[in-house]
Amino acid sequence: MKQPRFLINFLLLLIVQICMANFFRLSQFAMLSILPAMILLIPIKRGTIPVLFIAFATGLAVDLLSDGLLGLNALALVPVAFCRLGIIRLVFGDEIFARKEDISIPRQGLWKMSVALIMAQSLFLIIYIWADGAGTRPLWFSAIRYAVSLAGGYILSLLVARILAPERTSGARR
Amino acid sequence: MVDERKIWAKVIGTVIFVFMEIAALSMLKHSGTLQDIWISKASHHVMAWVWGGFDSIGRYFSLRTENENLAAENAMLTEALRRSQDRVQTAMENGLLTDTTIVFSGYEHVPASIVKISRNKQHNYFILNKGYEDGVQPQSGVITPSGIVGIVDAVDRHYSYGLSFMNTGISISARLGNEGAVGPLTWDGISMDGAVLKEIPLQYKYSPGDTVWTSGNSMLFPPDIPLGIAGSSKVVNGAVNEIEVDLFQNFAALRYVTIVSNAGREEIMYLENLENGEEEEKK
Repeated sequence: MKQPRFLINFLLLLIVQICMANFFRLSQFAMLSILPAMILLIPIKRGTIPVLFIAFATGLAVDLLSDGLLGLNALALVPVAFCRLGIIRLVFGDEIFARKEDISIPRQGLWKMSVALIMAQSLFLIIYIWADGAGTRPLWFSAIRYAVSLAGGYILSLLVARILAPERTSGARR
Repeated sequence: MVDERKIWAKVIGTVIFVFMEIAALSMLKHSGTLQDIWISKASHHVMAWVWGGFDSIGRYFSLRTENENLAAENAMLTEALRRSQDRVQTAMENGLLTDTTIVFSGYEHVPASIVKISRNKQHNYFILNKGYEDGVQPQSGVITPSGIVGIVDAVDRHYSYGLSFMNTGISISARLGNEGAVGPLTWDGISMDGAVLKEIPLQYKYSPGDTVWTSGNSMLFPPDIPLGIAGSSKVVNGAVNEIEVDLFQNFAALRYVTIVSNAGREEIMYLENLENGEEEEKK
């Protein structure tokens, strides 16, 4: 039951992201995205290659179903998928791979989880804001947009981490 | 065995990652004007940097030949200068010339060399090793002693991107013979030394073998640059002649060029804008 439940939650969050991209545009300085957290929280046993395809398809789905630039979310999300295992190894250590354990706030703690989420969110936002501005926006604008989006995205990512946590998607606490 | 599989997985993952990023960039390029310009500019910059590196290596190994060519050209120019000085001296002695006259060509010349050139497409291009820091401006002509090479389209700090004459989207104003008809000259789209001179009225008579020159009607190229030799012709729509031209310029062996920009372009454009503005006001 673990896999379908994760998949259903993942798809529901994807719909939430599409709705956010279409209807919740707070300001030109804020770009809220839960996509980096969704990619980061895919179970570790899924290697880099399948996650690359998932990230590309997810990014493209958001691009297609929201009135943004086609390819922008995919461009920013694929590097998150590529660096995902590196971020996990850097923040949580090698033991997590040895134990084949999925990441979650109850298991790894809020502090470490926050660092991983911020790293993934930052990578995504830097590429997104850079490509969206296409070299035309001043640095101060991009810096403010990055800071505001990171703060908003971090709070939303914590909610995503709770929804996609293995304790919830497996149906029982270990 | 396990390590080998891991290495292969990493290599394949990296290849897929690069492929997906290129695909995303390609989609992004076609979905936004700003992004299109930004990505094109970045790709030109990278391309110029890569090919500039290769060119530097290649040039190092051909220094001897280049020196010999330069020495030969130098000798020829010295000889021409000496003859010219003799003529001026003779003319001044005979009272035909009282002062040396400076002829202002109206074009600024910047020597450059080609870093990269494409020849096997319908829309060929080249990259030059001179940029805006060297005084190069977009919409400048690129010539050699054998004819024209193309037009500078975009200028970076140290490099310029140009559209080759071997590009179906380019036509230049050319004149048939010394005082003949003027028409657009375009690449024939097939050979490296073939062009077609179009829209020549039927009443203008010419002989195969006549030289085709730049007309000087455009702001891009100075007049009277020899371009090629007129060949056979055909009547199009019963109204105009279309003449085949064998170009002097050999695009297969092209390295050193001169970028020419019209020094009076801003003034001409100002006058044009002024005239257009007055016409609009009258309307």
